[in-house]
Amino acid sequence: MKKVCKYAAAAAIIAFLVYHSIYFENLEDIKEQRRRGTFNAAEYARDFWDNQLFSVLDKAVNVKELIELFNTNMNEAIRRYGKAPGVSRTYAYLIQGNGKILTIAEDFLEVSIREPQTNPDIKISSGFYIPGNAVRDASGLIDVSEFSDTMKFNEISGEINKIVVKEVIRPFLEKKPKVGKTIRFFGASQVAQDATEENLFGQLISGATEAKEFQLFRVVPIRLELE
Amino acid sequence: MARKFLLFIILILILTLLAFGCKQKRQEQAGDEGSKDKGKIAVVISTLNNPWFVVLGNTAKERAEQLGYEATIFDSQNDTAKESDHFDNIIAGGYTAILFNPTDADGSIANVRKAKEADIPTFCIDREINSNEVATTQILSDNYTGCVELGQYFVKRMNGKGKYVELLGILGDNNTWNRSKGFHSVVDNYPELKMVSQQTAEFDRTKAMEVLESTLQAYPEIDAVFCGNDAMAMGAYQALVAAGKADKVMVFGFDGAKDVIDSIHDGKIVATGMQFPKKMARMAAEQADEYIKGRKDFPQKVPVAVELVTQENIAKYTAYGRQSEQ
Repeated sequence: MKKVCKYAAAAAIIAFLVYHSIYFENLEDIKEQRRRGTFNAAEYARDFWDNQLFSVLDKAVNVKELIELFNTNMNEAIRRYGKAPGVSRTYAYLIQGNGKILTIAEDFLEVSIREPQTNPDIKISSGFYIPGNAVRDASGLIDVSEFSDTMKFNEISGEINKIVVKEVIRPFLEKKPKVGKTIRFFGASQVAQDATEENLFGQLISGATEAKEFQLFRVVPIRLELE
Repeated sequence: MARKFLLFIILILILTLLAFGCKQKRQEQAGDEGSKDKGKIAVVISTLNNPWFVVLGNTAKERAEQLGYEATIFDSQNDTAKESDHFDNIIAGGYTAILFNPTDADGSIANVRKAKEADIPTFCIDREINSNEVATTQILSDNYTGCVELGQYFVKRMNGKGKYVELLGILGDNNTWNRSKGFHSVVDNYPELKMVSQQTAEFDRTKAMEVLESTLQAYPEIDAVFCGNDAMAMGAYQALVAAGKADKVMVFGFDGAKDVIDSIHDGKIVATGMQFPKKMARMAAEQADEYIKGRKDFPQKVPVAVELVTQENIAKYTAYGRQSEQ
């Protein structure tokens, strides 16, 4: 009887030790974690910028045409040119055009693209950081479903925006642009579906607190050159 | 003789019409029973201890029932082990599809895989799992972008300077970090905005109140609190009221829950990010129905945009959505 008890106790101890010294994990989960661990958003953004983005710039719509369409038929503008990675009331647009600089502020340029070029139509970001997903989404090249977690998808946007600041905005500002000069640009923009419900783009905002405040189309530059 | 023959014909016509009437009624009844016999859909929710998730679960259940399914809600109580038990029961119980709000981005993958191996499709709602191979589709709040917008508004309201506290959600949930990183992607560019404390309150109202109470002991002079969800925003606001600082410290939330929408209306909370739980839950139920009817080509991840709700645009919004969508 004593022997039986001894064997039972020994078996229980061995079982306990074996149970706690071996840990099973699903191989697919491990592979997934490894894949995530190797992702580098900066490298992805670099490749996107150098090898992919410029191939779609020829699809950029003329900003003057787009603004006219926003002001007359927002739904048609969305249908023809808008891109969104999922379900949204905000769409991204790839644009191009030229215009006259009217204002140079700390983090933006106000530019007129429509004759007689006395009032601003667009606001081009020129600050030290760019928020949002305008370039990533307007390109239509990056599919969120490719990523196991959406944080990677978001990190790419952050890295693209850093490239914009470093390689587009800073070199442009180093050329010391002046008010009255003409610029040529490619860019991306995000516009809410109801953006023109109260005020049209390029028009004075009704009831604005500051004098001569216009409803402006905001642009993140992809290429920015003085003409 | 002719009269008898005519009566005979009329009788036959009446009987024929009656027979057709009965047949049609039987077919209608069969149709109704058929819709009730479409199968069972499980709605697995991370926690029902938060009104936002109650709305998410109830809407998914209601929509599934409208589509002719028997639907049951399972509460995981933020516990992956409980969630795993639910999945075992769902698989054994012969459910047709799962509308799933995961507890943990990594920990919940195994449960979805289990369902997939049992040929039960899973439709994730709001919260993400870190895999694009096991769920049929994932309908997710675009938390990062929503918090980029909220961060820009935060900077504007703070005039680019001041001290603030951040209350994080559950640390294992991707939503916690997507929100925090979206917010910081903007706010960290302003060196005069100082975060004096960053702590988790696990998306819980009571914990948020306790955490902020103790934080206020160490940092009594703060200007704002950014909270990773609305429940924590309400808890933070309660702590500020108790400390007599509710008028001086701005509170920012994220969700679009009823009490925060009411509080923005009353000028107590400054802003929130409106997620659309009803929209996401309905989409998930409808996609499950489409899957059962034969559609198989779903995008793996579908971000649903979050909208900034402030005291300026509150008229457009109601609890859990837009006025125009209710």
